Amino acid sequence: MSQDKNNVLIQYSVNHPKVISWAMGLSTLLLIALAVLPSLWPATFNALNPLAVDTDPENMLAEDAPVRVFHNEMKRTFSLSDMVVVGVVNEAHPNGVFNPESLQRVYELTEFAKTLTWPDPENPGKQGGVIEVDMLAPSTVDNMEQGGPGIVNFSWLMAKPPTTEAEALAIRDQALRIPLLKDTLVSNDGKALALYLPLTEKHYSYDVREALLGKIASWPASKDQFHITGLPVAEDTFGVEMFIQMAISAPLAMLVIFLLLWFFFKKLLLVVSPMIVAMVCSLSAMGALIISGNTVHIMSSMIPIFIMPIAVLDAIHILSDFFDEYPKHQNRRKAILVVMRHLYKPMLFTTLTTMAGFASLALTPIPPVQVFGLFISLGVFLAWFWTITFIPAFIMLMPEEKLADFGHKVKAGSNEQTTTPMSRLLNGIGQQTYRHARLVLMSTAAAVFVAVYGISQININDNPIKWFDSEHPIRVADKVLNEHFGGTYMAYLELEPGQTNGDENIAPLLIKRLAEQQTIAIENEIENANIVFNTVRQRIEQSQKNNRSALLKSTQSFVETELDKARDDTYDAWDAVMIFLDEERQRDEIFKQPEALNYMVQLQDYLASLEVVGKSNSVADIVKTVHRELLSGNESQFRIPDSANAVAQTLVTYQNSHRPHDLWHFVTPDYRKAVVMVQLTSGDNQDMAAVAQALDRYISENPPPFALKPQWFGLTYINVIWQDEMVAGMAKAFAGSFVIVMLMMIFLFRSILWGVLAMVPLTVTVGLIYGVIGIIGKDYDMPVAVLSALSLGLAIDYAIHFLARARQIVEKMGNWRDSISPMFAEPARAITRNAIVVGVGFLPLLAAPLVPYQTVGVFIASILILAGVASLLILPAMITVMEKRLFRARK
Amino acid sequence: MPIFLLLILLFFSSITSAALSVEEIVQRANKTIYYQGQDGRAQVKMTITDSQGRERSRRLTILRLDESKSDAIEDGAYESGQKFYVYFQRPADVNKMAFLVWKHLDKEDDRWLYLPALDLVKRIAATDKRTSFVGSDFFYEDVSGRRLNEDTHELLETTKNYYIIKNTPKNPASVEFDYYKMYIHKTSFIPVQVEYFDKKGTKYREAKALAIDTIQGFPTVTKASMENLRTGSKTIMAYRKVEYNVGLDDTLFTERFLRKAPKKKLR
Repeated sequence: MSQDKNNVLIQYSVNHPKVISWAMGLSTLLLIALAVLPSLWPATFNALNPLAVDTDPENMLAEDAPVRVFHNEMKRTFSLSDMVVVGVVNEAHPNGVFNPESLQRVYELTEFAKTLTWPDPENPGKQGGVIEVDMLAPSTVDNMEQGGPGIVNFSWLMAKPPTTEAEALAIRDQALRIPLLKDTLVSNDGKALALYLPLTEKHYSYDVREALLGKIASWPASKDQFHITGLPVAEDTFGVEMFIQMAISAPLAMLVIFLLLWFFFKKLLLVVSPMIVAMVCSLSAMGALIISGNTVHIMSSMIPIFIMPIAVLDAIHILSDFFDEYPKHQNRRKAILVVMRHLYKPMLFTTLTTMAGFASLALTPIPPVQVFGLFISLGVFLAWFWTITFIPAFIMLMPEEKLADFGHKVKAGSNEQTTTPMSRLLNGIGQQTYRHARLVLMSTAAAVFVAVYGISQININDNPIKWFDSEHPIRVADKVLNEHFGGTYMAYLELEPGQTNGDENIAPLLIKRLAEQQTIAIENEIENANIVFNTVRQRIEQSQKNNRSALLKSTQSFVETELDKARDDTYDAWDAVMIFLDEERQRDEIFKQPEALNYMVQLQDYLASLEVVGKSNSVADIVKTVHRELLSGNESQFRIPDSANAVAQTLVTYQNSHRPHDLWHFVTPDYRKAVVMVQLTSGDNQDMAAVAQALDRYISENPPPFALKPQWFGLTYINVIWQDEMVAGMAKAFAGSFVIVMLMMIFLFRSILWGVLAMVPLTVTVGLIYGVIGIIGKDYDMPVAVLSALSLGLAIDYAIHFLARARQIVEKMGNWRDSISPMFAEPARAITRNAIVVGVGFLPLLAAPLVPYQTVGVFIASILILAGVASLLILPAMITVMEKRLFRARK
Repeated sequence: MPIFLLLILLFFSSITSAALSVEEIVQRANKTIYYQGQDGRAQVKMTITDSQGRERSRRLTILRLDESKSDAIEDGAYESGQKFYVYFQRPADVNKMAFLVWKHLDKEDDRWLYLPALDLVKRIAATDKRTSFVGSDFFYEDVSGRRLNEDTHELLETTKNYYIIKNTPKNPASVEFDYYKMYIHKTSFIPVQVEYFDKKGTKYREAKALAIDTIQGFPTVTKASMENLRTGSKTIMAYRKVEYNVGLDDTLFTERFLRKAPKKKLR
């Protein structure tokens, strides 16, 4: 198993340590320079890619993913923008914010928000920032109410701030009467207000938020609380905190690792070397990421944090072995060559397996995860390369006298295994695994049983807002607003007809209906109706056009010309035909048809019955509200009128407002597409998925008119899609890399049995980790999914080292019983040190304000510690039980 | 400005005027746009195009009757009470819908709305007139006129062809603009361009006269556009069959005729 000669690369490193050091230093500097220069001076180095940050959760899916393409198309179609939401709450006043002082501030803040525009660098001459015309605030929305018998009143909801309590309450009561505003602008309990500030581009959210905070801070203290949130704000904040994270938590983790290494190996100078390797690999991988034009995303920002533990893993094995070997040789050259002979092969294989684990992420359909996997793979490769070259080189560059007192002291006369508490403990464990092998294996089986149960309990769910700590202002705002309002998470349901309106054989149908109109025209004594209608009928009969809209268009333009030159005695007849043709055209305007709108009403009622749905808004709500106010104002009139004409006339009335364009957020001007805006009180993917499923059920049980086809969009829905793809993709990636790693193990040990054995601790570790996640109810979210790959790559390392060394030692000692002591000396110590250093080194991540980093911290620690324990208990117990079969071939 | 428009305007340039006060200029412009003849009638084709190029069109007929009994500027014919009757023809689903407006100089206007499909006549009490005219980019006030005494007028510049006038509202809280600028042609007194500015000094709304004809001796805008620079929406009103001094009867402009449109007068 062990090689007699060292690899050429290692010999070269030992012989030319300076060359290796220079090569590493220069290559790293080059990568950093190529990344930093274009970021600092983009104009000078315009051929290179500058640093680009991406905090947009949409980018979890490729830009051409169908759900994103549709989402963007719909945002354009309905002129929907990303919004900053300002929640205003007053817990002290009995009427909440509906008092003159609070509304005065709301008014001022609204006026101030209107001014938050800046010259748009991408569209010279245009302004970017808050879209004033689409702002929702008491002073920017219209009110419609009864103004006495036969009178309807149109006005701004709050033209100016109220001066009395009664006026303030009147504003509240009026808004609560308007379904579009209730639970959106004014909370259902009538205590809170929310302002919605749409943005031309979401990157303005940071400036808008800062400006608003500045304005609020300029007021004397009051009981009004202002909560600023909304997805673009969350994204920007996330971006900022991501950098704080990289700048503080990652170096902090590094410091802890460094201190632990120092504690274990005592030689300050020597433990600097793994830190250098870790730094070099993290910087090189990030440099390569930037140079290749990839963005720093929530996923890729974690690359350094993943590379660091892996980069020090191999170095710890080398130092640990060197620590034990050096005292025997008292010659750094001899000692390092012996160490490298021990470790070259296991290190190569642990590297290959780790790389395979991460590279398997390229199989997921999530671009940021692919990038993450590939660049960590690159980092792992670099870590291996610089560890086997630079660490020996570094040792060679140290003066021999500095190493004089280095190493694991073996006091004369004392048992080698009992010098330190750790040695004593490990040796004891080793002996127990031999004595109680069956007990260990039975416990393992019990653990697997628990793991399987736990995995069956796993709850797949994610919510980007929950990536923030529960104390974070964004989370607090989210909580407060969702308590008061119908929900701040928007899901959009687009409806469009699934069929076109009778394109075939249109001419006979049109002629039939024309004849009906002709009869009516004659009954109404329209002059010359017969002549005119007959002319048109002949025209249609002779037309070659068989396509509905083309036929209508050509006939209409003919009639229009005739109408323009018509004499007084034929004008009315031509006008009647013209109106008939236009009515025909309008049959396609399905969202004016009461049938379609009433279906929407039912659909919305159903959605509102779902627990997580706060409310929904649609063109049907507009029609019902205007209809009610045009008629008596009584609730009995809060309904869709009976004819399409009545709907159309209601909508024209609605558009006689300050904001006629509001309608086009709900329906397209051709009335062929409409959107139901659903407000959810939870942004959890599982809640959104449940709503989507419930809707599908509803639609199949209640077939819609016009074969209306529902399709979701909006970020809350996009999150569900990428999560589905992520879960399926990660399962595939994990299964794929599991098989690859097992094949590599079989190849490494030239034995199926040994290969399978190596997979046991890993399988138990991963199973237990996910089992615990299932049992404690932690959601299986993005970081948890990604960590399965990490656990695979890391957990196998200990098994490889353990088994490789076990074979070397059994060969020397002749049997497993006698090999226990040497196995639980240096090899076990290396594994233990590794697990402790890296595991504890990641605990500083728990202090991070972003939850994904906390998850990663806990996970890496648990994986390493558990994998260490599993390797040191299960493997020796299994070897004990299966010794004959495992070593039969060798004897 | 299109060349043809300049040529038409040059035609009117033959009449030269003595130095006019800013008040006289805005009075003449107001008369040209809103008060020519004792009454008037026009068919309007309105085309609304949004920022995505999606078009909607409406056809309507507007009847107008002035209260002032004289058409001479000296008698104050540039501003008086007025009545409007707006009758919808198309789209078909709003056919027969009608508006009636009584414009008063001393109080809020009276407005009525007739919705045939709901068989409903309703009085509308609107607190301001700067709301959309039937969903277009024009406001009610653009169609019926803004009272001259609501703004202070300032002659910013006199160019070869235009008086450039800045109008600042006396009650800024009642309107959405900070001020507006009118480019009034010196001889025809047609405001060929009107630009609205917000508090930040950004132009956000713009009206243009796109075609001008002389009808019965009156220079008449026969095609006008209004663009909302914030939403990117633009409305073009093309006027056909424009006629002055039709001899419209005061009784037409009553609630009774909302339900039963005076068809012959609307052709």
